[in-house]
Amino acid sequence: MIEWAIDATGLTKRFGSTDAVRGLELQVPRGEIFGLLGPNGAGKTTTLEMLEGLVHPDHGDIRVLGLSWRVDANAIRTRIGVLLQYTQLDEKITVSEALHMFGSLYPRSWSADRLLQLVQLEEKADVYQGRLSGGQRQRLALALALVNDPELVFLDEPTTGLDPQARRGLWDLVCQLKSEGRTVLLTTHYMEEAETLCDRIGIMDRGQILQLGTPHELITGLQQPSYAEIEFDQDTPNAVAFATCMGLPVRPKARHWSVGLSDPKADLPRLLACIAKLDLPMQQLHVRRASLEDVFLQRTGRSLRE
Amino acid sequence: MAMHLRIFREQLLLGLKLHARKPPAVFWLVCFPVVMLLVLGAVFGRGAEPSQRLVWARDTAPSSLDNLFQRLLEERGLIVEVLVPADAESRWQSGKLAALLRGGSGHYTFRINKYLRGQGGQLEARVQEVFLATEARMSGVGELARIPVADASPGGRGGGSYVEYLLPGLLGLNLLMVGVFSCGMLDVTMRAKGGYKRLATTPLRRPVYLAAQIGVQLVLALISATLLGLAGKVIFGISNQGSYVSLFALLVLGATCFISLGYLLASFASSVEAYDGMANAVFLSLMLISGVYYTLDTAPLWLQRLADWLPLAPMLGALRAVFNDGAELGKQGPATAVLAAWTAVLFILAVRRFKWI
Repeated sequence: MIEWAIDATGLTKRFGSTDAVRGLELQVPRGEIFGLLGPNGAGKTTTLEMLEGLVHPDHGDIRVLGLSWRVDANAIRTRIGVLLQYTQLDEKITVSEALHMFGSLYPRSWSADRLLQLVQLEEKADVYQGRLSGGQRQRLALALALVNDPELVFLDEPTTGLDPQARRGLWDLVCQLKSEGRTVLLTTHYMEEAETLCDRIGIMDRGQILQLGTPHELITGLQQPSYAEIEFDQDTPNAVAFATCMGLPVRPKARHWSVGLSDPKADLPRLLACIAKLDLPMQQLHVRRASLEDVFLQRTGRSLRE
Repeated sequence: MAMHLRIFREQLLLGLKLHARKPPAVFWLVCFPVVMLLVLGAVFGRGAEPSQRLVWARDTAPSSLDNLFQRLLEERGLIVEVLVPADAESRWQSGKLAALLRGGSGHYTFRINKYLRGQGGQLEARVQEVFLATEARMSGVGELARIPVADASPGGRGGGSYVEYLLPGLLGLNLLMVGVFSCGMLDVTMRAKGGYKRLATTPLRRPVYLAAQIGVQLVLALISATLLGLAGKVIFGISNQGSYVSLFALLVLGATCFISLGYLLASFASSVEAYDGMANAVFLSLMLISGVYYTLDTAPLWLQRLADWLPLAPMLGALRAVFNDGAELGKQGPATAVLAAWTAVLFILAVRRFKWI
């Protein structure tokens, strides 16, 4: 039998007249990095806050590390680590003071030195946190989430607002958490992040998980797992005639058309034939694997970034 | 339990340390009452002294009545400056004169500057009194007797000076500031910006955390009160006449009352900006009608009665009785009862409405 780090069934949460989460089911085994991927307002943060014991669900049942929030709230709190979207700290608290302060709240905690080393902030130990860069601040927030050596770590949009280098640095840290046997539940709206980091992904929209699986499963499970991108060196021409010729929907972009292919072996010759027939000014043709972005698009008809 | 105590101590010390790193903010918190004492004490001194100078516009040679009138005015401590009417008028128009006496030989008029009514009114009273004495002297009555007058505080031990009135007022006002501005603002900031939310994911107990945060503010308030007392003693020579136990008990009760008020108000605000407006509205209206800086004896009676039923005015009354007259707290029954009732209600409501997230 699998030991679940998180086992949630039938979660619903309503704020006023909006259904933030609608009947969500989620099981995460221990040792997994699980990502909730979805656009802003999909209900990711509300889901996380219910699992973290911050928000009471209207309906549904939650077990965290086999414990229930109703009975064992403090036992859960000593065993989880949380990185919220914003970590509010006093401007004038130093990095090591913040680590000490949070550490003092737990019966057992890691030393500040060890945490500083982990997130590579040793040189900033005595710096006021208000003076840290965005990436350093986020690394500190992560260190604070790890201060009690948690078995389960919640990361809510851990890399939002970070530059690409800082983002990669944080990814390495998250991978290290997994290698130490911790379970990680994170939310993101970066598909690349989800694809790189996560063992499994739940694609979330409008308060529900639409699809769940490994990144590979999600992509190969698509009706159109490949995309042809037809590139022009000028503005893209009108795609209607081409779409009619292909019998497939065509998404026009700034410089290219994107066509989802379900069977490249059959579709590609047809595609080239249509291009020749319509005498299109095509420059290049690329065939690429579908991404998680495309998974979201095909499931919802909308883009993640909208 | 030991763990909670340890966390309380660490949070308290950290809070104080963080405050110490923000000198401008702490200066305002801790030194505001002292600054007010020094400025207002210097302005109004030991009671409002009436203006010493009286300008008299007269264009004829003085009659014997005029001469006697002027002599008696000077005997009553006024410096009389006689000017020709044209010069007197231009002085009047400069706006610096509180009052102007005109005419001679029994045909006098008196004009009071509407903008300096306080001084002008006091001058008038003296001039009228001296005029009656002059007329009595002229008709052969001789010296008029006056009833002796002394300034005194209600309990009779204080000297009744303005600074004595002001200092306990500032002591009480400081607690209102701590509650409504420091504690309330801290609460709304922590809630609106997610500080509480982050702490709520840890095993930290709320009462322990809040006690430490309030403790930090109380330490600052205590420093502030000590500085105020020292300034009163060193600069104005006034000190607590009552028992320090009574004084401390009153301050603790007042602090509980106003800190509860701050947290209760903050529970109605969803943002720091919204709270700023609410806090100022409550603070200013309470301060202005509760007789912190000036007595309310000229205010409409209904306003005075209203103030008596709000927490600040009774507290200041009791503070003045204890501090200036050495009164026992037990003798301040009605005032303490009003304050204690407010404290109980505000405390219960604040606890019930407190939100961690």
